[in-house]
Amino acid sequence: MSAEPGPPLPQPITSVKSPFRMDYTYVAGAGRSVFLRGLAERKLLARRCPGCSQVYLPPPEFCSRCLTELEAPFELDGRGTIATFCVVSFPFPGQTIEAPYVVAHIHHHGADTRLMHLIGDVAPDEVRIGMEVEPVWVGEDQLTTSMTSIRHYRPTGVAIGSESTRA
Amino acid sequence: MRDIAVVSFAQSPCVAANRRDDMAGFLLPVIRDAVQQAGIDRDQIDFFASGSHDFFEGRTFAYIESLDAVGAWPPISESHVEMDAAWAFHEAWAWLQLGQGDIALVYGIGRGSLPRDLDQVLPAQLDPYYLAPLRPHRHALAGLQARALLDAGRTSEQQLAEVVSRSLAAAVANPAAQKSGAFSVAELMAAPYVASPLREHDVAPCGDAAAVVVLAAGDTARRLADRPAWVRAIDHRMDTHYPGSRDLTRAESARIAGARAAELAGFAGYDVDVAELHVQYSHQEMILADALGLTGALINLSGGPLAGNPMTATGLIRIGEAAAQILDGRAGRTLAHATNGPALQQNLVCLMSTDPA
Ligand SMILES: [Zn+2]
Repeated sequence: MSAEPGPPLPQPITSVKSPFRMDYTYVAGAGRSVFLRGLAERKLLARRCPGCSQVYLPPPEFCSRCLTELEAPFELDGRGTIATFCVVSFPFPGQTIEAPYVVAHIHHHGADTRLMHLIGDVAPDEVRIGMEVEPVWVGEDQLTTSMTSIRHYRPTGVAIGSESTRA
Repeated sequence: MRDIAVVSFAQSPCVAANRRDDMAGFLLPVIRDAVQQAGIDRDQIDFFASGSHDFFEGRTFAYIESLDAVGAWPPISESHVEMDAAWAFHEAWAWLQLGQGDIALVYGIGRGSLPRDLDQVLPAQLDPYYLAPLRPHRHALAGLQARALLDAGRTSEQQLAEVVSRSLAAAVANPAAQKSGAFSVAELMAAPYVASPLREHDVAPCGDAAAVVVLAAGDTARRLADRPAWVRAIDHRMDTHYPGSRDLTRAESARIAGARAAELAGFAGYDVDVAELHVQYSHQEMILADALGLTGALINLSGGPLAGNPMTATGLIRIGEAAAQILDGRAGRTLAHATNGPALQQNLVCLMSTDPA
């Protein structure tokens, strides 16, 4: 037995055009502004918490554990080790780099937090955790208050050991 | 029911635009202030609840940034509402009622200055089929409501100006006010319309600020404040999403929330000394005073939202201001009202008293 068919459904409306465009002001805040301005001068500026001694890179305005204002910014030399990484192998809408490419967490010498960036000038299958890397800055005319002032990080050729063996 | 009270309230000054601080940067001093007033360390706080809206910030999960000002390490128990923080206050109150802890901190963040043009953003809160495609001006629905109220003979343009004049004069004593001063009714009525019959001063000035309220239960509240502002009742109701199916001259959801809160509290709107009303427009004061039966209360002694409107923190500030009246010994019974959505669509009522029961 089959159910009595109901009245026919109206032809459904499948789309209504209502495009939204919204423009925003982005407020970087005091802490981020220090770091982003450093990038425009090829400087990686870190800051230490006077409460727990954690060195932040990039630094916020205050320590999120102690809620204490961080000390004055100081420059790191940019070298660090790969704490972890992944190889992006698939294309997606909006992608600006051709796959495959390597994204890594970089543990800078002298910092306690990790900074995320791209790894280049090396074949993806040769990248290792613990590999020492250094920043490759863009040309003078492209330097700006953005992470894009660093094109990517590249191996220095020095192997330091895995993240877990570091103190 | 547990006895639960507001034990401290702090807010940052309402400003048209804060271009120096990120969310965490401008919340942190306000949290410090509220926690210090309560005389507690942040590790004594059992629960955090907050309210803000991504559409003002232009990013998804924007409020996560504010957790840097809360100190979310070691991990904490927290929750967020994507609306005015008065609703986060309601959640924290319910959380304490369930006996999950003794102290809760509620914060609201208003960042109305970040959208370059609110007319691009505010239509997104409307019905996506019938209203949003029409892209009504940000004050259009309020203009319809005010016009209907005038036409019904329930108010006049002169009375609207009187509300504004009184509010901005009261705001002179409020250091957090964005707008204040002595303005005569005649002077106000000479100003041009922005959405007739509304003039610019009839509109709560959208801007930036953060607010923090600390809640505590029972003996903890008695220990943390000399005169805790006991939350005797809180209720919220919402009306249909399509304004065309409502009588815009009435706030039926505010009336029901007020009646239900009065039932729980044992006293009603006509018993309170002071009321803080979340008026987004001057004409809404009459609608709310009617709905809540505010016959004897002094309304918006802080100046109210017409003196400063950090959207999504504005409602929580009403609760904070109404509580402060009791904390400071200036009033015995107070009412706080908060709203969300266009033309008083959703309404929350909170009744507070010097007595816990
Ligand atoms: Zn620290």
